[in-house]
Amino acid sequence: MLYPLIAGVLFGLYFSLVGIGLNLVFGVMRIVNLAHGDFLMLGAFVAFGIYTVAGLDPLVGIPIAFALFCIAGLLLYWVLVPRLQRARDPEMLSFILFFGFSQVIEALTTIVFGTSERSIPSRELANSLAGVRAAIFGGEPTNGPFRLLGLSFPASWVVAATVSVIAIGCVYLYLYRTRLGTLTRAVMSRRDEAIATGINVDRVSAAAFGIGLGLAAVAGVFAPFMFGSFTPAFGIDATVTSFVVVVLGSLGNPLGTALGGIVYGVSYMIVQTYLSSWADLLPYVLLIAILLLRPSGLLGRRVRVA
Amino acid sequence: MIRKAAVALAAMMLTTQAFAADAPAEIKIGTLYASSGRYASISMPVHSALKLWVDQKNAEGGVFVKAFDKKIPIKLVAYDDQSNTATAATLYNQLVTQDKVDLLVADSGSVLTAPAVTIARDHKMFLFDQTGTGASFFSKDNPYIALMSDPVSTIWPKPVADFITHDGPGLGIKKVAILYSTNEFTGTQANAVRKFIKDSGAPIEIVYDQGIPTETTNYTVIINNILAKEPDAVIHLGYAPNDIAFLRNVQDVGAKFKMLFCIYPGLETELLEKNVGAKGLQHVFTYVPPQELDYPVNFGMKMADFKKVWDAKYKDGKIEFGFNSVAGYTTALIIEKTLSVATSLDQMELRKAVFSLSGNLKTLDGTFALDEMGGQIGELTPLGQLELNEHGHIKFVSIYPHETATGKPVYPRP
Repeated sequence: MLYPLIAGVLFGLYFSLVGIGLNLVFGVMRIVNLAHGDFLMLGAFVAFGIYTVAGLDPLVGIPIAFALFCIAGLLLYWVLVPRLQRARDPEMLSFILFFGFSQVIEALTTIVFGTSERSIPSRELANSLAGVRAAIFGGEPTNGPFRLLGLSFPASWVVAATVSVIAIGCVYLYLYRTRLGTLTRAVMSRRDEAIATGINVDRVSAAAFGIGLGLAAVAGVFAPFMFGSFTPAFGIDATVTSFVVVVLGSLGNPLGTALGGIVYGVSYMIVQTYLSSWADLLPYVLLIAILLLRPSGLLGRRVRVA
Repeated sequence: MIRKAAVALAAMMLTTQAFAADAPAEIKIGTLYASSGRYASISMPVHSALKLWVDQKNAEGGVFVKAFDKKIPIKLVAYDDQSNTATAATLYNQLVTQDKVDLLVADSGSVLTAPAVTIARDHKMFLFDQTGTGASFFSKDNPYIALMSDPVSTIWPKPVADFITHDGPGLGIKKVAILYSTNEFTGTQANAVRKFIKDSGAPIEIVYDQGIPTETTNYTVIINNILAKEPDAVIHLGYAPNDIAFLRNVQDVGAKFKMLFCIYPGLETELLEKNVGAKGLQHVFTYVPPQELDYPVNFGMKMADFKKVWDAKYKDGKIEFGFNSVAGYTTALIIEKTLSVATSLDQMELRKAVFSLSGNLKTLDGTFALDEMGGQIGELTPLGQLELNEHGHIKFVSIYPHETATGKPVYPRP
């Protein structure tokens, strides 16, 4: 039981990172980015390119992917979202628009890169940090399995979980310790009131959209290690899981996403242990259960409208 | 005498004219492929090989069709099912009812072949099943199917099970773990392995036997559960993405199984080596593919020539050369040969022609042989083990059956 629990926490923390960008975008703009998983897939290609073309540690891909997709997000926001917001039902329209966008990204990536699976050798992730790990935990300065309480876990999972915790912390700091973050929370809380008080909602939303896409791309850097391999078609599954994690935790709350990820990860590992044939049903079962029992999510608050 | 000759000449001319009048402008071959999704990596090589053959034949003026006694160009009607079985079902229907194709060819793999089996049967179309090996496709009451390129899954894993039950006890194999993806292909293989082991009466105990969803990408906990059972041999039956994730996770957690069998390191070696690395494949047991066996042929290109043509056509390397590309080309050769012997394009005549090739046709994939239900029982793949050569690259060592063996197994894995 201990193994699935620890593995589930590591795995789940990674899924928190997968979901947090989606949460931010939905929380601020109330639009559903069905192409979220495709940006994750593109992040995986960034890591793959950095490793295969430049021969660098895929960790280098984190700032590059974040910066690239932040900029892409900002540009995309100004092209797509204001028009979407002017529509009568932006939430429903966003489903259709981003579904189409997801298909376009997948098709273009397939044309450019082909359909085959791609991955990066696990030992290459954080290879440069192997010495640091050996100094802290002992052992050889090589990137082998990570041992904890006599159990063996993939080192890449530990790295991904650590980066996820840092990323969630950064989002938390952004939302609660910066002026732009405070404005972002104001928009999340009541968009109409935010507009009425003179907040530049478009600027706040563009920043959130950029950061959301950047975080998806950062999660993508770890995809080759967490999922074995990736293909251009990999985005849809990632989007579905992201939704589950976000809805589980509660929309618009980064700590909720972290909790949602951990609950998903631990449940997945326990189901894989005891009812392995049913493991793929888990996201949908969790989604239905949370919507029936606590629609606001695990950390969701009731909102009273005066 | 002159009158007789004139009558004969006139009759001959009339017959030729009748042939020419009846002959279609093109032979329509309908098929599906998956350009994206889970099965793209096994579908695209098969489809690309079929396309390669079509281009080759059309460059020669078409394929010879005995029914019309002439060469006729081929039109390949191909749709993208995107690895989706519901889309595949719609598109198979479209091929049969709207496009009215002359020959129906299934997509690659059992999952995407399954919808075609029912549709072909309902419309009384003979299905050229490329690589769908699932047991349920073949029955005595369904004459509308034959498997072209892979052994039917009920017999395919026999060398693996035989090795474990015959040679295993001598090597110290007493406990076996079976992990399989729950789909028609690997589910059938798992059933077959289980049955062969149980029926053998050998002192082998199956200590772990679990099915997992085909979409599984994470095996860490499962590997830990298998390790807890201390098996002497682990048989993992999954598609290429499953094998990639499984073998990577085995390395990631530092697990060392004494014997580990996987399907795809043998079938799509290039793809697996790219993703798992040569070290990760070392000592893994797998099927030995026809690329390693260099079968003598009596029809079509030999393996080396096919590889050359493939490399020239698909220079960008986006689609790997492997077992599935050979399977696609084998299907094409069987279609070509079928058209050259069938006296009409009637579906039952096509079936008769395909079955007439059984045991006689030798391609780069081995001897094409069918059982009475259309299951492939030739083109067998022995059990092999992957080792590294002096340059650190993967090489196959054929292990079982003994008559085709090129070396001894490395057991237990060091």
